[in-house]
Amino acid sequence: MSSLLHFLRSTVFTKIVMATSGLLIIGFLVGHLLGNLLMFAGPEKINGYALGLKNLGPLLWVVRIAMITAFGLHVWSSIELALRNRAARPIAYDTKKSLKSTLASRTMLVSGMAILFFVIYHLLHYTFGIIQPNTYYAGGYRMESTGEIVHHVYNMVVAGFQNPFIALSYMIALAFMSSHVSHAMSSAFQTLGITNPNISKFTSKLGPALAAIFLIGYLSIPIGVMIGVIKKAPPQEHVLE
Amino acid sequence: MKLSLKVWRQKNKEAEGQFKDYALSDISPDMSFLEMLDVLNEQLLAKGEDPVAFDHDCREGICGSCSMMINGKPHGPESMTTTCQLHMRKFKDGDNVVIEPWRASPFPVIRDLVVDRSAFDRIIQAGGFISVNTGNAQDGNTLPIPKPDADSAMDAAACIGCGACVAACKNASAMLFTAAKVSHLGYLPQGQPERQRRVLKMVEQMDGEGFGNCTNTNDCEAACPKGISVKNITRLNKDFLKATIFG
Repeated sequence: MSSLLHFLRSTVFTKIVMATSGLLIIGFLVGHLLGNLLMFAGPEKINGYALGLKNLGPLLWVVRIAMITAFGLHVWSSIELALRNRAARPIAYDTKKSLKSTLASRTMLVSGMAILFFVIYHLLHYTFGIIQPNTYYAGGYRMESTGEIVHHVYNMVVAGFQNPFIALSYMIALAFMSSHVSHAMSSAFQTLGITNPNISKFTSKLGPALAAIFLIGYLSIPIGVMIGVIKKAPPQEHVLE
Repeated sequence: MKLSLKVWRQKNKEAEGQFKDYALSDISPDMSFLEMLDVLNEQLLAKGEDPVAFDHDCREGICGSCSMMINGKPHGPESMTTTCQLHMRKFKDGDNVVIEPWRASPFPVIRDLVVDRSAFDRIIQAGGFISVNTGNAQDGNTLPIPKPDADSAMDAAACIGCGACVAACKNASAMLFTAAKVSHLGYLPQGQPERQRRVLKMVEQMDGEGFGNCTNTNDCEAACPKGISVKNITRLNKDFLKATIFG
C-alpha cells in the first residue's frame, strides 16, 4: 500500500498519466483519420460513416467520455509537470544551447496549447456548427442505399475548406499537432518503461513516422478540397433536413 | 591567445549575483579550462580582488567536482569531456566565453560558480546502496553475472554525479543521475534484494528535492561527460512501475 502511495504522489506517476492519456488520444487520431479519409470515397461513404457513428448510441458516449477524460488528464498532468519544471529553474541561463533535443520536444507546451485551442475551434466548427452555421446546416443528404435523410457531412467539410482562411487555420493546427506527436509518441514509450530491445530500437523513429502519417493524411483533405479533387456533391431531390 | 570572459560573480547564497567581464591575454592553447581560470584568479589576487570560486578536485575527469556552464553547454563545447579535461585549443583567439554556474533550485549557488550539490547525496542516501554484512570478500566467481549485464552496470556506474544532466535539462530534472544510480545496482545480483525499495525511495527523494521532471528530450545524455544513456531512464520507469504493482 505504501508503495502505491509513493507511486501516486510521484512525478513518474504524473508522467505515466500523461503518456497513457496521450496514447489514447493518438489512438483516437488514428481512427479519426481513417474515418475522415472517406471524404475521398464520396458523400455516400462518409455520410454513411457519420450516421453509423451516431447510431452507436451509448457506445458513442462511452468513447466520448473516455476521450474527454483522456484529454482532461493530459491537460492536468501537463500543467502539474510544467509548474514543477518552472519552479526547478527560477534563474534562467544567460546562454543556453540545446544539445540533442528536437525543437518539437522543447515546445510541447506551446504545441499542446495550440492543439487545445484547435480542438475547441474544431468542435465549434464541425460538431456544433457555430463557426460556419450557414454551411453546417446546408441541407441534408439522402442515402442512396436506404433513402434515409442524414446530415450532409461531406458538403459541410467541402464548404468549410473552400474558405481559404478556414483551410489555412486547419493546416497551421495540423503542423502543431504533428510536431507534438513526433515527440510524444517516442517519449511515451520511454515513460512507460518499454526496455524490450526489439521495440526500443524503433521508439525514436516511431514519433516522427506517425507524425508524418498524420500530417500527410489529415492535410490531404483540405488540400484535396482546395485543388478540387474533393468537389461539392451535386444537389439531390429531397426534402431539406 | 586572448579571451573575453563573462563570469557569474556571487558573494554567497543570499547575495544577488551578476556577470562581470574580464579580458585575458597570453593564454596557452595547451592549458586546461581550469588552468585558464587559475591564471585569471592569480591576476585578480594580484589586483587585490576576490578570485572566482569554482569547484575542482582531481582534474582528471573522474571526480565530478568541476561544474560550470561554458557558452551555454555544461562542461563546455567538447562532448564527453569534463571542464578540467577541456583544453583552450578548443577555443579561438579572441573568443567570448560565458561562464555560469549550474542553474537549478535544488542546486543553490554558494559562491560564484560553486553550487551545492548535496541534493544528489541525499538521493543516494535514500537508496543508492546495497546492505551487506561486512566480512571477508566473497569469491568473485560464486556470483555469476552475464557479461552484458556487467557491462551495462559498469556503464551506468560511470556516472560521476557532476550534475551536467540537471544543468542541461530544460526542466532541471535529475532523472538521468537517479536512473544511473538505480541501474548500476539493478543490473547486478547484489542489487536485487533492495531493487524495488531503492527505486521508490530514490524517486521520492528526487521529487522532494524539487528537481523538474523528465520530458525525454535527451539533452542530458548529450551533456553527460560520461555518456550515460537515457536507456537508464526507461529502465527506472520500468522498475518504478514494477515496484508499484508487485512491490
